Amino acid sequence: MPEQNLLEMKGIEIQFPGVKALDKVDFSLRAGEIHALLGENGAGKSTLVKCLTGVHHMDAGTILFDGKEIKPTSPQDAFSMGISTVYQEINLCPNLTVAENIFVGRQPMKHGMINWKEINKRAQELMSRFHMDIDVTRPLNNYSTAIQQMVSIARAVDIDAKILILDEPTSSLDDNEVKLLFDVMNELKAEGMGIIFITHFLDQVFAVCDRLTILRNGSLVGTFNIQDITKLELVTMMIGKDMDVIFNLKRAEVAPDAPEMLSTKDLGTPGKIQNVNISIKKGELMGFAGLLGSGRTETAELIFGAVAATEGTETVNGKQVTIAKPIDAINAKLAFCPEDRKRDGIIGDLSIRENIALALQARRGFMHPISMQEQNELANKYIKLLSIATPNAEKKIGELSGGNQQKVILARWMATQPDLLILDEPTRGIDIGAKAEIQRLMLEMCGEGVSVIFISSELDEIIRCSNRIVVMRDRKKVGEVNGEGCSQQTILNVIANGMQEGETA
Amino acid sequence: MPERIPDRRQSLASRLLKPQFVMVYATIGIFILIYCYGAVRFGDIGFTTLRTFVNMFKDNSYYGISAVGMTMVLITGGIDLSVASVACLTGMIVAYGTSVLGYHPAVCMLVALVVGVGIGLLQGAAIHYLGVPPFITTLAGNFLARGVCSLISRESISVSHPMIDALAGWKWYFKKYADGEWVKIKPIAFINVNLLVFLLMIVIGTYILHRTKFGRNIYAIGGNEQSARLMGLPVGRTKVLVYGFNGFCSVLAGLAYLLEVKSGWNLALNGGELEAISCAVIGGTLLTGGVGYMIGTLFGVLLKSVIPALITFNGTLLSWWGKIATGGLLALFIVIQRIVVTVSERKRDAKKKASPS
Repeated sequence: MPEQNLLEMKGIEIQFPGVKALDKVDFSLRAGEIHALLGENGAGKSTLVKCLTGVHHMDAGTILFDGKEIKPTSPQDAFSMGISTVYQEINLCPNLTVAENIFVGRQPMKHGMINWKEINKRAQELMSRFHMDIDVTRPLNNYSTAIQQMVSIARAVDIDAKILILDEPTSSLDDNEVKLLFDVMNELKAEGMGIIFITHFLDQVFAVCDRLTILRNGSLVGTFNIQDITKLELVTMMIGKDMDVIFNLKRAEVAPDAPEMLSTKDLGTPGKIQNVNISIKKGELMGFAGLLGSGRTETAELIFGAVAATEGTETVNGKQVTIAKPIDAINAKLAFCPEDRKRDGIIGDLSIRENIALALQARRGFMHPISMQEQNELANKYIKLLSIATPNAEKKIGELSGGNQQKVILARWMATQPDLLILDEPTRGIDIGAKAEIQRLMLEMCGEGVSVIFISSELDEIIRCSNRIVVMRDRKKVGEVNGEGCSQQTILNVIANGMQEGETA
Repeated sequence: MPERIPDRRQSLASRLLKPQFVMVYATIGIFILIYCYGAVRFGDIGFTTLRTFVNMFKDNSYYGISAVGMTMVLITGGIDLSVASVACLTGMIVAYGTSVLGYHPAVCMLVALVVGVGIGLLQGAAIHYLGVPPFITTLAGNFLARGVCSLISRESISVSHPMIDALAGWKWYFKKYADGEWVKIKPIAFINVNLLVFLLMIVIGTYILHRTKFGRNIYAIGGNEQSARLMGLPVGRTKVLVYGFNGFCSVLAGLAYLLEVKSGWNLALNGGELEAISCAVIGGTLLTGGVGYMIGTLFGVLLKSVIPALITFNGTLLSWWGKIATGGLLALFIVIQRIVVTVSERKRDAKKKASPS
C-alpha cells in the first residue's frame, strides 16, 4: 500500500576517523507509525539518529522530511523542525524543577517576564496526561529515574513534534513503567506522530512496533513489517552469526569437593542489610536474583566492603578477614564491577589503558607503578581477548559504546586476577551480542577457577549461567536454588512465597 | 519562585522549606543571630541604630556589586578570578584619564566599561569555545588586568573632578518629622550612590535569574551543561554573556570603589575577587554550579559587614579577628553545604531504591 513517508533518509554515509560509521543506509518513517531501529552496539543506530538530529554531519545522502529536503545542523535546529529526541541517559537538569525541565528554553512569557504560573499549570496537565501524579514544582532530582525519563518524554512531545526519537528509553524502567510508556507511545502514534524506537529488548519491539529496520556494522540489513519476521530471524540478522553460540553456553563445572572460596556468617550493617549467609566454592558461578531494591547490590557491597559490615564474619579462602574498605577486598583478591558503570565504574576522561590498569595499580600501591610497557601489554591483551571495539588503547573510555565500556571494566578486574569477581548487572543496557560475550567470559573465568557472583534482573540469563541462585526479597535472602533444572517459575515462586522449610529445589 | 497553582500543591510552608532554600535560610538565620547578639551586647552604644544598619550595606557595597555578577558565574559552574583586577583597572583608567590626560570622567568611564565588558566577553569566549578551564582563563585575565594597571602608573593617582565629587558626595539623609519640620535623625544615617547601585544590581540580578530565559539557561547550564546543550539551549551564548555581565559588574564595582577612595592605585582591591566569591558562597551559591540566589548573596555581603561592625563596637579586638571570623564562617558554610547535598542525595537514593517494582 503506498503510504506517504513522513521521513525519508537515503544513501546516508558517515565517515569517522578510521571507520565508516554508516554506509549507504536508507531509512523511512511514516506518520502514525512506531518504527524500531535495531542492531548491536556500534551497528550505527545512534549515528543514524544523530545524523537526523544534527549532531553528526553526513558525508553523503539526503534527508526528506515531509517531502522537503532538510539539513539539520544542530539538535536545536532539528528540534525547531519538529524532530524531538529522548536519549537513554537522562538529559535534563537535576537542579531545575520538573516543570522547568519541560519548558526551559521555550518558557511562556508575560510582560517580559517568565510566566511561572503558566509553566507549572501546563506541566501539571502534561504529567497527568501521562498518568503521573507528581508535584511538578519540585526539583527533578527528587524523583526516580523512571519519572525523570517520563519528564524527558513529556518535554519532547510538548512541542509540535512530528517525529519522536526514543533512544533506549526503557533500560531503566520496570515493567509497569514500560507499559505506561507504551500507552503514551500508542497515544502519540494515534495522533499521527512518527516514532523511532531504539531498544535492545526484543519483546518490546514485538509488543509495540509496526515496522523495524536492522543495521549491522554500519550497513542496512533490511526493513521489515513486524508480522513478517520471527524473533530468531531478527536476532540472527542483528548479530549476523549463528545463535547457537549464545544459547549453548555451558554452565561452569564445579567439582563436588571444590574448596570453599568465600563464606559469610550473619554479615550485616543495621539499616542496610543484615544476616547475609552465603558460601561460594572455587570456580562456582552464583547468581543473585530478586526484584530491584531486594538487596542484591547491598549484599555485594557488603561483601566487597563498599559498605562496611559492623556485624558477622567473612571468610576468604578459609581465612577469616576483615573487609572494611574496598582496598581490603582488593587485597583479599576480590573484585567488584558496580551496577552503575557511569557513576561508579568508568572514569570517562581516562583512556582504555588507564582504566584497565586502575585496579591492579591500586592493589600494588602507588610505590610500585606499573610500567608503560606493562600497561600497554595488559591493555592490548584484554582488548584482543574481550574483542573490545576500539582503534587503539588510548581512546577515552567515555567515547566507547556501553557494551565496550562494560568489557573494559571487566578487563580491569580480570587484570587483578581475582579469586572472586562480583558483577552487578554487567549486561544491562547492552545488546545481545555483547551480552552473550560477557556471559561467555564469565563462564570461562569460572572454568579457570575464579568464583563469580552474578547479579542480574534478567532471570533467563541468571538461570542459563548460574550453578546456584540466591533469591532475595525485601533485603533478605529468601532462598537458594540450583541453576540446573531451574525454571523462571521456580524463582518467581521463591520470590513470592519464600523457601519452604527443608526444600533444596 | 513558582507561584501557587491548584491541585496537589503542597502547603505554603512546605514550599518555602524546600531543600534548595536551606542554604539561604542558614545565611539569613546566622546574620540575624549575629545581629541580635550585637544588639544585646552593644545596643547601649548604638549597634541597633539605623546608621549602623545602613553602613553594613555601604561598607562592602563594591564587593556586593561584584558578587552579583560572580553569583551568576558560579551558578553556571564557572569562576571568575579577574574581577578585582578589572575593577582596579577601571579605577586606573578613570583616574589616569581624568587627572593626567584631562578627559571628562564620563568619557573615561565609558572607555573603562568597554574594556571591562570586553575582557569579560573574551574570557567567556575562551572558556566556551577554546575549552580553557574558567579558573585558568580568568587567572590569566587577573594578571593581565593587574599588569596593565601597573603599566598605567605605579603611583596612586588622585581624582578631582566636579562630576566625581558630585557623585561621591551625593547623600540622601534619613529624616524624621519633629516640631513641624523634617530633621535628620541622630546619629546621622544616609544612603549614597554606591548603596543604591548595589541594591539596584541585586534587584536586576534577581530579575535576570528568575524572570528571563537567559537567567534560567544559567541554572540549566550549571545543572548539567551537556543536557542543556541537548535540550537546545544556547549554551555558548549564555556563558559568554555571563562573563560579559560579570565584567560589567566589575566595572561598576571599580567605579564604586573609586567614589569611595577618589583615587586610582595599581594595587587597589588586591585579592578582592575572593571577597566577591566568598560573599556568594556564604550566601548559598554552590561552587559546583546550578544553585544560588541573589537574596542569599545580599545576606552574604551583610554577614561580611556585620562581623567587622561587631569588632569595631567591641573596641578591644584587633581587626584581623574579622578575617578569622570570616574564614571560620566560610568553612562552616562549606561544611553545611556538603551536609545538605549529601543528605538530599541519600534521601533521593533511598527513594529511588524504594520506588521501582
